[in-house]
Amino acid sequence: MIDEKAPHETLTPEIRTRPFEKKKQGSPKRFDIASLLLPLLVLGLVLAVWAIVPTLKIRGHPLVEDYALPPPLTVLQSIPDEVHTGRLFSDTVASLFRIGAGFSLAVALGVPLGLWLGSRRSVRAALLPGVNFFRNLSPLAWIPFAILWFGIGDPAAIFLIFMASFFPLAMATMAAVATIPVVHFRVAKDYGFQGRELLLHVTLPAILPQVITALRVTAGVAWIVVVAAEMVGCKDGLGYGIYDARSALRLDLVALYMIIIGLLGIGLDRLLSQLTRLPGVRWGYER
Amino acid sequence: MSSSFKIVLGVVAALAAIALLRFQPWHHSATVADATVHSGPATGARQALTVGFLPVTCHLTCPVTDFASKQSSSGTNFSSQRFTDFPTVAEAVKTKKLLATFMIVPLAMKLREQGVPVKICYLGHRDGSEIIVRKDDPAKSLRDLKGKTFAIPSPFSNQNLVLHALMHQQGIADTDIKCVPLPPPDMPIALANHAIDGYFVGEPFAAKAEVDGTGRVLYYAKDIWPHFISCALVVHEDLIKEHPDQVRDLVMGIARSGAWADGHRVEAAKLVAPMYRQNEKLLEFVLTKPKDRVSYSMLTPTDEDLQKIEDMALKMGIMKKPVPMSELIDRQFIPKDIQPAEIKMPAAIKVAAR
Repeated sequence: MIDEKAPHETLTPEIRTRPFEKKKQGSPKRFDIASLLLPLLVLGLVLAVWAIVPTLKIRGHPLVEDYALPPPLTVLQSIPDEVHTGRLFSDTVASLFRIGAGFSLAVALGVPLGLWLGSRRSVRAALLPGVNFFRNLSPLAWIPFAILWFGIGDPAAIFLIFMASFFPLAMATMAAVATIPVVHFRVAKDYGFQGRELLLHVTLPAILPQVITALRVTAGVAWIVVVAAEMVGCKDGLGYGIYDARSALRLDLVALYMIIIGLLGIGLDRLLSQLTRLPGVRWGYER
Repeated sequence: MSSSFKIVLGVVAALAAIALLRFQPWHHSATVADATVHSGPATGARQALTVGFLPVTCHLTCPVTDFASKQSSSGTNFSSQRFTDFPTVAEAVKTKKLLATFMIVPLAMKLREQGVPVKICYLGHRDGSEIIVRKDDPAKSLRDLKGKTFAIPSPFSNQNLVLHALMHQQGIADTDIKCVPLPPPDMPIALANHAIDGYFVGEPFAAKAEVDGTGRVLYYAKDIWPHFISCALVVHEDLIKEHPDQVRDLVMGIARSGAWADGHRVEAAKLVAPMYRQNEKLLEFVLTKPKDRVSYSMLTPTDEDLQKIEDMALKMGIMKKPVPMSELIDRQFIPKDIQPAEIKMPAAIKVAAR
């Protein structure tokens, strides 16, 4: 039997020898400091504008009323209470759990479906219109059904996240499979690859970079959906926290939760972007 | 493949860790408890009943009852579960996830019309809604507001019905004032931003504009329709059949809590503020300025009152077919003698984390 690494070597020799490392080595320290300082600078500017705007007055009237834009200090002051009661923590865990469960489920089912769709013309003909139909439905339209079918709480939110990420993932995987050059399969055929081997050594390495990009995009969508879904279908979670704070006329808490959601979203994307460092997919990002 | 294996392992480990944190198996708690705002302190309670409410003063007796449920004779611990919108409450009742709740009256009628077996067993409160306009608006009646936009909490709210009834009374056509449903918390800000010109809603969202200095009261509900009804206690027939003692206890608790709240308005604001997560001063304003802005007595639903609401709903096309009052109302649990609940104000009110 052929060596396991052989097809990879055969299929992407010129890419593997590209001098990517050199580019990265160019004064790494300055690059790091700039990438740390610049965002902090922008953050500081935004905070400064946010702090100054509520204090501005036009002809004795405040430009923005306190109730329309809570000042940063008020938001800061709302933190201890939320931390103390444990609400912030339990809400964060609830949202992370839902996105973890719903998104993993979507990946576990969506990627295989995409592979199947991409590799079989007849399957594509049969299922593609359906996948396209559901992909274009806003997952939030499912909210009433989610509540009726799954009740209020985790299952409803997980279902909505699944609906938000499953179809785009299947589509992206399918598209990625369709773009694999036919020559790859021909070469693989010459080596006698079939079934599982073909999948593991030709198809997957070829599509992974695109799939990882799709994962990052859909994770972002899923994060938006979990927050929106929790506003109606749940009794906890960051989205519910926003909705609840809004009912309680506490815009400072709304702002606090928005900041947490944004930060966690960045974290989530950072985590998924680590996948691009996998040795097997690096070729897809080296241009 | 080993790095892929590591990633899969890492993902599984992270998911497991989050799941552990989420369910905290070392922290045994009932499924209901993690969603309740506050659980009644009944000692030795043999059973528990969750009652739904929204953080509006209309439903104020709900958390008070839960607080006072140590006086329960059926050994029931009443737990109040806070919701944020009525569609979710309606869906929870349909699927029997919630068997007793406070709800806007026309929505309860609509549920009954759709075949959901619910009964109105008691009322939430009387009055407690206002038509608010901008502070600088010179309007003296709805006639001065032709062509303007008004916000209502829901098409299925009594506020919507009564606003239209008042428009007809003043000779204004339905199309002369544009009505848009808006979440109550957004109304005060929408008014200040000129997105709407007025709104009709239950407290404390009406008083909020007054306290902020952006709005003023055009009509108190009591001036349009004395003893205005907004919400009622709605109970699923399953609960009435299986646990009539719980329903009796609940209605008694609400009646007694209402009698207490009527006489202890400042204390009531203090007691529910943390459960509502609302500003105590705002709630105090609602309950005391003027005192008859909200009333927690006369909570027995009469055929006459509810028929009037239903007739308006039918006329407006919100309901398609009439529901007989005998099917809708169940008065068997209302006590004859209502004594104010004995509530000892705690030094600090402990509110369970979500």
